[in-house]
Amino acid sequence: MAADASGPWRGLRNAAILLLIWEIVGRLDLVAGGALPGISEILIRLWVDWGDYPRHIGATLYASSMGFLIGNALGIGAGVLFALSPTALRLFRGVNIAVFALPPIAIAPILVLTLSGMAPRIALAALGVYFVTMTATVIGLSQADSRATDVIRAYGGTRWDILRRVQFRGALPSILAGLRVAAPNAVLGAILAEFGGGGRWGLGAYLLGSLGRGEPDRLWGIGLVATLIAGLSYGLFALLAARTVGSTRAVTLNTAVPDAAPRAGHPLGRIALTFGTIALPFLVWWAFIEATGVPDLISKTPWGVVEYLFLDPTAESAQTRLLAALVETLPITFLGMAAGLGFAFLLAISSRLFPRAIEAFMPVALVTQTMPLVALTPLLVLILGRGPSLTLWVTISVTFFPAFVTLAQGLALVPRSAEDLPRAYGASRWTEMRMVTIPASLPYLFAATRLTVPRALLGVMIAEWLATGKGLGNLLNQSRGFLDYGMIWTVAAVSVLLSVLFYQAVVIVERRVLRRLGMATAE
Amino acid sequence: MSLRLNRRHFLGTAAATAAAASIPLRARASTPFTMQAAWINDAEFAGYFIGIDEGYYAAEGLDLTYLSGGPDVIPESTIIAGRADLALTTPDTTIKAIVEQGAPFKIIGAQYQKNPIGIVSLASNPINEPRDLIGKTLAVPPVNVISVNAMLALNGIDPGQVNIVPYAYDPTPLIRGEIDASLDFTTNVPYTISQQGVEATSFLLYDFGFTIYNDTVVVTEETLTSKRAELVAWLRASRKGWEANFKDPNGWPPKWADTWFAGTGRSIENEIFFNNAQQPLMESPAGYMGMTEEGIEANLRALAEVGIKGTRDMFDTTLLEEI
Repeated sequence: MAADASGPWRGLRNAAILLLIWEIVGRLDLVAGGALPGISEILIRLWVDWGDYPRHIGATLYASSMGFLIGNALGIGAGVLFALSPTALRLFRGVNIAVFALPPIAIAPILVLTLSGMAPRIALAALGVYFVTMTATVIGLSQADSRATDVIRAYGGTRWDILRRVQFRGALPSILAGLRVAAPNAVLGAILAEFGGGGRWGLGAYLLGSLGRGEPDRLWGIGLVATLIAGLSYGLFALLAARTVGSTRAVTLNTAVPDAAPRAGHPLGRIALTFGTIALPFLVWWAFIEATGVPDLISKTPWGVVEYLFLDPTAESAQTRLLAALVETLPITFLGMAAGLGFAFLLAISSRLFPRAIEAFMPVALVTQTMPLVALTPLLVLILGRGPSLTLWVTISVTFFPAFVTLAQGLALVPRSAEDLPRAYGASRWTEMRMVTIPASLPYLFAATRLTVPRALLGVMIAEWLATGKGLGNLLNQSRGFLDYGMIWTVAAVSVLLSVLFYQAVVIVERRVLRRLGMATAE
Repeated sequence: MSLRLNRRHFLGTAAATAAAASIPLRARASTPFTMQAAWINDAEFAGYFIGIDEGYYAAEGLDLTYLSGGPDVIPESTIIAGRADLALTTPDTTIKAIVEQGAPFKIIGAQYQKNPIGIVSLASNPINEPRDLIGKTLAVPPVNVISVNAMLALNGIDPGQVNIVPYAYDPTPLIRGEIDASLDFTTNVPYTISQQGVEATSFLLYDFGFTIYNDTVVVTEETLTSKRAELVAWLRASRKGWEANFKDPNGWPPKWADTWFAGTGRSIENEIFFNNAQQPLMESPAGYMGMTEEGIEANLRALAEVGIKGTRDMFDTTLLEEI
């Protein structure tokens, strides 16, 4: 977001105005009969409760840091492997998409069933980190300056020399950017697992104990602390990136033609690879259960889920319940995808047309990303009721942010010269937007869609779990009460599978459209 | 450890051995033993905290590890996975799992003789009996929908006549009138609501035909065979803990402000209210943690009404008899 000299101050001023409005609205109990407390009420409560916080923060930091380390070690390791071997990248594609798309609320109960102690928290934090870092590593390594690698090759350097001397250095900014996004993910994953997992310490555990009090100022306080931790971890890596990027950036432009993508080999080999890509996620699932050694009454292998759904005496009842839930969940999920994407798109366009207003909105947008939704539920049901509008808003709040960031990036990258043309002819900002900026950022629109679509299911399931009592989200929770382990695993598997399908559908449309327009995909 | 005996020690050891005849585990080295509770630390588990703090379990030769629960923790899963020897849970889920999935569970004791869950509403918009729920909105934690449907069916009400929505642990929607009633522990939520300056009213599902226990003590059949002595010891120490608790229900919670109740997010006053409110629900002619024949019969009858066909042999009262 570019700004002139007075920009930062105006941004601050707008944010201050927003906070003031929040304070007045909260103090006067104007929203939902006082369910939204004023900023000062939240801060005073935070001060009063402060004695409770250190151990909870400590536990959350421990779990999220462990998850961050493990997730990043795996992410960078896998990224290096994938950058070296396109076959490995192809083979692991299914696993990678599954990790990216899996809805955490469906996975948390599974982790609590199969792991103990801090392990579910660390695992959920690591899962939130892996994909982001892995992708950033692959992109960073594959975008190394080919002139530098040519130099090493010319002097007889090995593949490892290239990796060590050029690619890693070149990839550093990209990896650091990945870590920046990954850090808040780790915090959120840890808090979600703390909420359900039954430990005594951690912000998630504190939130659970506090919910029963019916005191929104406490809940907002916890949300604010979570936001602060997530924000600081983002800031830490942003700072690190700013310090190191300068030394690795190329000074002149590389005009060499990039290497062509390796052609796939024998058709049989390709089929085997595709089969492996699809089979691998199920193998990982099966290996996970073998490794945890949890009895098969409570942990279901892929085959266990097939048995439960198709072969057991209760299969028919299971199918009926699953289908009924899907019929409730899927239509609103498609609406949610459209709403989340539409909201992100509007926001991205507004950020070009009214940059100041959007700058002021950004802190609020960040809070919606780190504030645990369970703490906001009373406020949301009081304002929106328990119908489709609540589900849509929860879905928008879960989906819009990554899509917005991607779109804003795409809009900002449109060449100035292309925008100057309509401007020279006296076109309005909006005409310029319509005729140049939006079409030019189409690859980013698709990238944003890929980010949004799997998360829409997560948003809908959260709303179902907390407020509407319908669909997959509700089925998952009721199954816990019935000790219906088969259904718990089935819902988790089906939700991951659906998210992967949504993702894959976007990828196929994206390839077709962009190929026809002669554009490249954006990561 | 040196085992050389002098005369005084010998007499002491002899006395201990004599005592050990009646209390089998007392003289043994302590055995690791793990229990899985049903929820986060609150007054619901006061008896066990006393048992740990006052050394009742240690005196029985148990080195007790206490695991607190949470929304994603299914207590029965913890014992199946072998991470705990015993779990506190509800008889409806246990018996349903035995009947439908052949789960190897036995119920060996019961903390609440009357299930504390009930319908909580505001005195200004009171729901005094199941009939009053018709046409109203009731928030129920998804895991408890089974219990509510049972209570409605027992009172001749079609569950379709009540608008059931999820209860997300926060009473704010009830206080603000967005819902008419919620299902929760009647020992707990009325206090929270009164703190917001509103008066609450409630009734127990138990008093309207859903006559089941809560926080039933469940073990696997394997544990029942292999750790029988430890289970009896645990029951004995737990009963002692609860007896001590109800001698001074106001005195114990403040003692745990910096230990068991530290950082739970709940207030000590809330725990004191809870501790007093739960006493009448736990008293039994068979003693704390006990199970009477009438009580078991009432559980089976209520569950049979909703299609969960349990049998007497899913309850094992012989360990309680050994206390």
